Formats: sequence, C-alpha cells, structure tokens
Amino acid sequence: MRRNPLLIALKGLAILVVLAWSLIPIAMIMLSSFKTDRDIFAVPPRLAFQPTWTNYVALWERWGDFFHGLLNSLIVTAGATIVAVLASAVAGYAYSRFRHKVLAGSAFFLIFIRLIPPIVITLPLFPAVNWLGLNDTHFILIILYATFFVSLGTLVMRTFIDQIPKEIDEAAHLDGASRLQVLYKLILPLSAQGMVAVAVFVIVYAWNEFLFAFIFTTTRAKTAPLVLSEMIGAVEGVEWGVLFAASTVQLLPVLIFVVLAQKHLVAGLTAGSTKG
Amino acid sequence: MEQRSPLLPALGFIAPVQLFVGIIIFIPALYVFWLSLTESSFGQAPVFVGLANYGRVLADAYFWKALANTVIVVLIVVHVELLLGLGMALLFASGVPFRPLLLAAVLAPYAVSEVSAVVMWRFLFDPEVGFATQALAALGLPPLEWAVVPWQGLLLVSMLSIWLHLPFTFVILYAARLAIPGELYEAAQMDGASHFARFRRVTLPLLVPAMLIAMLFRYIFAFRLFSEVWLLTGGGPARQTEVLAVYLYLEAFRYNAFGDAAATGWLLVVASLVLALWYLRRLYKEMFATYAP
Repeated sequence: MRRNPLLIALKGLAILVVLAWSLIPIAMIMLSSFKTDRDIFAVPPRLAFQPTWTNYVALWERWGDFFHGLLNSLIVTAGATIVAVLASAVAGYAYSRFRHKVLAGSAFFLIFIRLIPPIVITLPLFPAVNWLGLNDTHFILIILYATFFVSLGTLVMRTFIDQIPKEIDEAAHLDGASRLQVLYKLILPLSAQGMVAVAVFVIVYAWNEFLFAFIFTTTRAKTAPLVLSEMIGAVEGVEWGVLFAASTVQLLPVLIFVVLAQKHLVAGLTAGSTKG
Repeated sequence: MEQRSPLLPALGFIAPVQLFVGIIIFIPALYVFWLSLTESSFGQAPVFVGLANYGRVLADAYFWKALANTVIVVLIVVHVELLLGLGMALLFASGVPFRPLLLAAVLAPYAVSEVSAVVMWRFLFDPEVGFATQALAALGLPPLEWAVVPWQGLLLVSMLSIWLHLPFTFVILYAARLAIPGELYEAAQMDGASHFARFRRVTLPLLVPAMLIAMLFRYIFAFRLFSEVWLLTGGGPARQTEVLAVYLYLEAFRYNAFGDAAATGWLLVVASLVLALWYLRRLYKEMFATYAP
C-alpha cells in the first residue's frame, strides 16, 4: 500500500486526540492531588510544580470515613466477585453441556432480566431490606452486586466452557467420575480464563457502584464512592485538593487492575455481547 | 453431544443463578407493578387505586421534562459513542504503534467510577479555573455554564457519559472489525475497489450486527442514567435537568410518593422492553434452537 505522508500525519493526530480525550481527565486529578491549593487554582494551569503530600495528609486526618469506605468497598467487592463467579461458572457449565426446553426458557429469562433497570427494583427492596434488618450491611450489597452480574457472567462462562471439548467430559464420565467431579476437577480449572473475565467485570462494577450503595447504606457499610460523593457535596469548591487525593486513591488500584487484565476484559466483553 | 439430557442435575446447577435474579430482580419488578396500581407511602397499607398513579405521572410536567431530557441525552450519547467508537476501531485496525499501550489508555475510563468522573469533568469545566474553560476562552468561547443553564448541564452530562462508556462501544466494534477475514479486503482490492468502496462494501455491512448490538446495549443502559446527573446537577436548577431515574428517585425517596414512583418505574421497564423487542425475539429463537432443537 502507498504511504501517503498526509495520511500518516492525520493518523498521528487522531491518535493524539484519542489519547488526550481518554487520559487528560484522569491525569489531571492525579497530578492535581499533589498540588497545593495555590497551584490547583493557578491560571493558566501549571504543569511544573512542587509536589506535596499535604492533600493526602489532610485526607488521612480529616476523612477517616473515606478509609473505612475503602475497606467496605474491598469487602463488598471480594464477596460479590466470589459469589458471582462461582454461581456463573456452575450455571455456565449447565448451559454449555445440557440440552432441554426448560434450559432454553431459563436462559432467555436470564438475559431478559438484564433489561430491568436497577433503580426500579429499589422501590420494593428498600422497605423489604429494612424489614429484614439488612440495610447498611455488606451482605445486601454483595447480594445485589452479584445478582446484577450473574446474567452476563453465565453467558461469558458458557462461551468459554463451550470451547472445552466435550470428549474430555465423556472420557471422565466413562472413568466413573460424577458430574460434580467433572465440574470441579475438569471444567472449572480449564475455564479459569473465563472466570477471570467474569471477575474483571464484577470487580470494576462493585468497586465503583454508586446507586445501590447510596440507597442501601448509610454509615457502617458505606463504600468509597459514596464517601467521595459526600466529599463533593461537602466541599463546594473549597477542598478540591483533598477530593483529588481521595479520587486518586479510589481509582488507582482498579485502574492498574484494568490495565493488567486488559486481555480478559476484551475477551469477556466480546463473549458477553456477541453471543446471545 | 448429549441430547435430551436429564433435567434434574442441570436444574441444580442453574438454581443459584436463577434464584438470585428471580428473588432480587424478577419478583420485585412484578411487585412494582402491583405498587404502581396502589396508593401507599411508608408504613401505610397500600390501597388499590387502578391507573390513578399513571394518570398523575402522565399529567406531571416534570415527568415529561425528565422524559424529554432522557431521550435527548440517550440519543446524543449512544450515537456519538457509536461514531467515535467506529472511528477508533478503524483507526486501531489500520495498525497503530504501541498498540497494547494505546489500548490500555483507551480502556482506562472503563475503570473510573461515576463519582470520580464527575469530579474530573466538574473540575475540567469549572467556570473559573477549569482547563476546558480556559481552552474555550483561548478560542474566544464563553465558559460552559452547566450549573446555571439546563441544556449546558445536560451537555456536560452527555460528554461525561460518552467518556465513561466509549471503551465498551469501542471494544465491541474493534473485536468485530478484527473478526472480518483479511481475504475479503484482498479480494476487494484485486477487483480494484477504492479505500472508500472497501469501507462501504466490506467493513460497514459486516460491522452492522456488532453496531446494532452495541447500540442496543447502550440504549438500554443509557436509559437508566442516574448517578452522573444526580452528582453533577442533582436535577437542578429548578428540576430542569432531571432524567427519568432521578425523577423516580425523588418521587419515592423525597416526596414519599411510592405509587407515582412505581408507575414511573414500570414505564421505564416497558420502555426498555419495547426498545429491546427486536433483540428479545432473536434471542428467544436462538435459545430454543440451541437448547431444544
């Protein structure tokens, strides 16, 4: 193919625009979290500045709530991920290996259910959760987060398990292995990639989720995004530096995780949306 | 292949997943329908009122404002995302240097929470010190008055939403583009097809299914838009930037009108189902073709 210099320049420009669009908002708050207020509010913005930890110190001293929120987020994310991945893997196995009318109907139901907006079900769940004494607990968030990802998770797992040759199960069955043994000893280890892909979705979702945390938690189980939103409400343009520091702390682990798990994220997204 | 395999063990395996969605999503959704036909608030026994709640919601100017805002934002967000995502997919498919690094950069917003995204975009468009405001000023343009002028608030909500969800649309389209066999392009080139002709005759038609899927998912998810609006404008000024989910939330949790909120919720569900009707029909056939041939 001919190499047209104009085309190459245009392409370079397009790449720069894409990079700027994706990264400037993130880089801006991360850099600004190391700035003093004076540097944050400098016009024009300063790229060269004396970095300082003051915002992080202030965050630590005045927003103990935030670190408690991080711990809650960690617990809820871990719980939801384990529950969603296991339930999805087991169901994915059934949808990959069994054939029955009932399964067709239930697979349809599973995907159909994704169309119901989460906010709608908060209406009956809110009084029910209160009545059961489950509001402001890790448990309710774990259940809600897992529930909203088992549909996608099952779909992704089925796609991955479909790629494992059925002859392997049949050979194991001939050797006298039960279905459960086949599942635990063969299918789950062989579909580890799919489980990672499902885990990536759930981890990013549970770590960042706002709506359910906002409605179902108040103090004890409050997650990090909820504390961040309180900081937005409380600061009203005053404590931007501390807010940037908190946002950076909340974002950095999951950002690194997404970059490292990139391959699985892409595989999961394609498996979950193109199939079914 | 196992045909007509025994049902019982399969039911055992799918039970956890089905119980989760059944108990947490399906039954509550049905109950919302019942709620929408009753008058109730906290601690009171519901009284059956027929379609009165729907009548009241449909007569509420704020509902129509919220509906209009939702439709406008969804239309902007989904279609801009689709165009940008397509452009980026083609850019990446044409070969870019440092591909894994660039891909990581493009996927980065996927990791960002709605709350942090609001912090970022609010500060970018801060009327006094925001980078974007200063860039606009350098071009001789006025600042975006997102906190004062409703349509400008919705514009910022749309930008922020596009930024957060572009990675999803991009990945779907990019994967679909990579799945197109290279021989098709070689054949088209042998036939003397120009760049544009190859795009129009090969790339575009083969990407249509993926575009439809990406669009459908984004329609359905964008329709639920809540956090971005809630955290950025709170629906204000004067309830002018509310979207349907914010309207529902306020009805239920601020004005204590559970019946009205339930009616709004059920309208949301029906709208989502209607949007997805085409997809549901295809899915239904596919499921029965796979599992009960």
